Amino acid sequence: MSEEKRKAVEMLNISKIYPDGVVALRDVNLTVYEGEIHGLLGENGAGKTTLMRILYGEIKPTKGEIRLFGRKVSFHGPWDAIRHGIGMVYQHFTLVPTFTVLENLHLSFTSVEKKISENMIRRKAEKLMKEIGFEVPLDVIVEDLPIGVQQRAEILKILLRKAKILILDEPTSVLTPIETRELFKTLKKLKEKGITIIFITHKLREVKEITDRVTVLRKGRLVGTVETAKVSEVDLARMMVGREVFLKISKKPAKVGRKVLEAVNLWVKDDRGLDAVRGVSLDLYEGEILGIAGVQGNGQKELIEAIAGIRPVIKGRIIVDNVDVTNRPTVERYRLGLAYVPDSRLVGLVFDMSLVENTILTNLHKVLTKTKRILWDKASEIAVKVVKELDVIAPSLSAPVKYLSGGNQQKVMVGREIVREPKIFIVAEPTHGLDVGATEFIRKTLISLRDKGKAVLLVSTDLDEIMQLSDRIAVMYEGKIVAIGKAEEFSIERLGLLMGGVKA
Amino acid sequence: MGSVQFLMKLRERIRARYEEYLVIVIETLASAIIGFSIGALVLYILGFNPAKIYLILFSKGLSNPDYLLSKSTPIMLTGLAFAIPMLAGVFNIGGEGQLYIGALISLIVVTSTHNSALGILAGMVAGAALGTFKAVLKVYRGVNEVIAAIMLNWVMYFLTLYLLTEKLYNPQIPHESIPVPEDARLGKIPTPIGDIRLIFFIAVIASLVIYYILYYTNIGYMLRVAGLSPKTAKYAGFNPNLAIIYSMALGGAMAGLGGSLLLIGYVYSIDTTMSTLYGLGFMGIGVALLGRNNPIGIIFSAIFFSMLIIGGEMIELLAGAPPELADALTGVIVIALALPYTYRMLISYMRIRRMMKK
Amino acid sequence: MIDDIISLTSSTLIYMVPLVLAGVGEIITERSGVVNIGLEGIFVLSSFTATIVTFATGNPYLGLFSGTIVGLLAGVLHGIVSVYLRGNQIIAGVGFNTLAYGISIMGLVTIWKQHGASPSVSKIPMISLKIREGLTFTISPLSIAAILIAIGTWYWLFKTTSGLKLRACGEDPKSAEAMGVNVFRTRFYATVIGSALTGLGGAYLTVGWIGQFTRHISAGRGFIALANVAFSNWNPLMAIVGGMIFGFFDVLSIYLPIKIQLIYPEVKITTLAYLFKTIPYIGTLAVVSLIIGRARVPRALGKPYIKE
Repeated sequence: MSEEKRKAVEMLNISKIYPDGVVALRDVNLTVYEGEIHGLLGENGAGKTTLMRILYGEIKPTKGEIRLFGRKVSFHGPWDAIRHGIGMVYQHFTLVPTFTVLENLHLSFTSVEKKISENMIRRKAEKLMKEIGFEVPLDVIVEDLPIGVQQRAEILKILLRKAKILILDEPTSVLTPIETRELFKTLKKLKEKGITIIFITHKLREVKEITDRVTVLRKGRLVGTVETAKVSEVDLARMMVGREVFLKISKKPAKVGRKVLEAVNLWVKDDRGLDAVRGVSLDLYEGEILGIAGVQGNGQKELIEAIAGIRPVIKGRIIVDNVDVTNRPTVERYRLGLAYVPDSRLVGLVFDMSLVENTILTNLHKVLTKTKRILWDKASEIAVKVVKELDVIAPSLSAPVKYLSGGNQQKVMVGREIVREPKIFIVAEPTHGLDVGATEFIRKTLISLRDKGKAVLLVSTDLDEIMQLSDRIAVMYEGKIVAIGKAEEFSIERLGLLMGGVKA
Repeated sequence: MGSVQFLMKLRERIRARYEEYLVIVIETLASAIIGFSIGALVLYILGFNPAKIYLILFSKGLSNPDYLLSKSTPIMLTGLAFAIPMLAGVFNIGGEGQLYIGALISLIVVTSTHNSALGILAGMVAGAALGTFKAVLKVYRGVNEVIAAIMLNWVMYFLTLYLLTEKLYNPQIPHESIPVPEDARLGKIPTPIGDIRLIFFIAVIASLVIYYILYYTNIGYMLRVAGLSPKTAKYAGFNPNLAIIYSMALGGAMAGLGGSLLLIGYVYSIDTTMSTLYGLGFMGIGVALLGRNNPIGIIFSAIFFSMLIIGGEMIELLAGAPPELADALTGVIVIALALPYTYRMLISYMRIRRMMKK
Repeated sequence: MIDDIISLTSSTLIYMVPLVLAGVGEIITERSGVVNIGLEGIFVLSSFTATIVTFATGNPYLGLFSGTIVGLLAGVLHGIVSVYLRGNQIIAGVGFNTLAYGISIMGLVTIWKQHGASPSVSKIPMISLKIREGLTFTISPLSIAAILIAIGTWYWLFKTTSGLKLRACGEDPKSAEAMGVNVFRTRFYATVIGSALTGLGGAYLTVGWIGQFTRHISAGRGFIALANVAFSNWNPLMAIVGGMIFGFFDVLSIYLPIKIQLIYPEVKITTLAYLFKTIPYIGTLAVVSLIIGRARVPRALGKPYIKE
């Protein structure tokens, strides 16, 4: 006999339009029943996070109504949502990184009970941790904890506030496969206790594994809500993207040439002074794509920053085209034929500067006269070349690049390096945050670069991308390369295990 | 590149960024209007007739072109002294001290060498040195540039005061310093609107040179990138620390130039209360902000503020109102210019209303 | 020797009051994430207001109070500009300094027709402890008040819930907001309280210490207070120490020339005094350059908090 389940959350006709004209959500409806794990599925930019932030009171909807357990509510801020029993675990945690876990718990609890002593919080926290069965060290400063533990602290914080509805935003993006399994166990336990869970993700596997029902969003609109058991991953993919998804890009076999980059026993420190890269050695050859796989935070970023010359090397050597460039300035490496596209557009571009001005960022020596005057004509020519080759859509060459879409900004970053005709192309997260069309374009571009005989070093947390593009794959875990070999030697499962620190 | 092409490119550039420019114009006008409105209120409270005062301010301020442009010279340069580091991401409010040391050093050099060019150069070097010192403190010791600037402003103030009263005073006119020798003074040159002091033209040329450096050389490009996004500067291989040092040196040189030009081409001696030098550095901040940190804009902004200052002097003479009104007006305009986001929010708000109606 | 120590100590305790009060006030403001460099302007304006009110009513306590109110109002202005209108905090502070200076001098000229100084006004009486004939230990009651306020603020910031919330705003406003803290309101109140304390310090300049308003009544003290904030590593207890150190420099700049004149009557002190006046500034700069290296700035200081 099925009982009529209560509707925990109803979001009706929600729209959100931003001041600069971007339409994040248009007429979205969402219904979540009490005690279910409800998936919110969509690509990057589909509006999932925005929708939940509206539910959490962080963002005001431009239009629409929200009901909790049947009653209409209107939140002026997260504190309202918290008081109504909603808790949200963001991708970027809302813990004050410079406070201890206990101080964070204390802070968050004050929104429920104004005056409470730290000792009382400690007792409550310890009791709760025993009940749920996971441990978090209370007196450690948050930013000193590993990400998986931080996330648990975040969840503990929310549960302490007696949340009835738990929203998780892409929680597994910062976890290893093992930590992910632990998380899912925890979520199932919470479901048993009657907590309603909304699970935002873009990973089809996760939807199938843990959700009861799933709502799919695409480009800010509702596609549909289905029962997870009744659909397949392919069905979900089609709903997410709107067309048949071809997961394979055809590529010719690699024609490998000479060695153009060599890293020998590199040791590099991260921003906090800890060792991020611990004795990494690798070779890169012309005409191949070497993909470095690994969960964010295992030293990949520091590795390529060191190769590019942006980060100092503590020990070891870097050799570009037979020239030892260890600790030589970045500009020199660029001149030797190295190109680097960083993972963040904030780093690779100056948003307030025009397309032309951004084009010469790494090409400065090409447009300078002997008297150090900038030849803006020549710069414009190069910019035009970038626009043509990468098919960039921009209002004009002089418009600040902040007016371009994310995908076009990425194209400028990538295109600027391509027209330099470099020998070595280092690129990190090239398709992060891009829509399917732009993603396909950039990936095809990388393959064509490799076909032209360039050496490509690809760092990506997207396993599909690594597997599609790489000729050889290396896996980084805790600052070391734990496996390196031809792409055929790696399956998704083996990669997952290696990334999680398991010898496979 | 032909001038027609240049104009066409300019038009294209303006059209592309027309929304940016529109916002900038609105902000600038709005802050000036707010400034004058509040100034009117203050005047009214103090018992003056705002309309009468503002009439004197504007009409007298513009009546004497030579006076107007000469007075604009030092603040044009202290404006650059604030703007250049600002573009590189550094708040340099030390124009005051840099101007003092520029005037002081050039006085010493010009009275001993009788060479005005050398005097001017010395002043620029002195200002640049002071600027570089502050930059070094910031880069290598993490000293906040605002605190360093104010401390050094006062050190320079008292140091100059000491040297003026103790060593450099004029025996015949004890409340003045030794004068700039007659043969080293810069005078006026004839123009269609009358005889104008040479120093104004030197200042304008300096502004144009700075404009060229900022927008047409690699150093200027590097400065601007570092100011807009230090992370991107590092990525491009620029050293953000160098940007700080170069911009502070260049800015300091401009303030020092302001001090030298004021001395060698206008007042010809410093009075021992330093009244002719005091406050020019801070005025420069207002000039730079109103001129949107753009050297060309600063030229016009300096003339505008010069009008305010002269008008201020006149209203003391003619209406008994204190000349510090110019300070008060400047202060309010500067505060109003701290609100760029507000105006942008307004414009975005209007746009989203339009979108919702669709 | 003892005489010198006693009088130097008591002078330091008198000189340090504005630096401690404004320092602690700005610590509160900056711990919440807002930077107010208009302290100098607040000093000038509040000391001017205190002078007018005391002149008109003859009651220095009223003057003290009015100065504090002026500081509070300045805090409201800066709070609105910085927190709610997301303005550039440094520029707003610079503008305020110029504005406050302009208004005060305008007032000085209009009311008393003077360009240099106002007439003397009654002061809050000092506390004197007679040690022996010819030697008294004199401090202001506000010296004690300043120290107590600093201790109280330390307790509030680090041992209470509301202090925890305030500090969260300065370290990570997004997280604080997500945890239910009203960041805008907290920052606004922190700015207002901080400015009010600065106003108290400014009023003290005239009605607790100097006894009249002069053109250079503050002479950069507002900025020395800012240096104190950084020196104290945003800890109110250290601000007391810092206030005393920086105040001591100030005392030296007056005492040294007098002492030297006594010992070497031939030396002409009047102009040399100018050189000594640079001591507080060089001292501050030296302290800031040598010690500050290991400071822990509140992470979100100076960045306007922008909600969507």
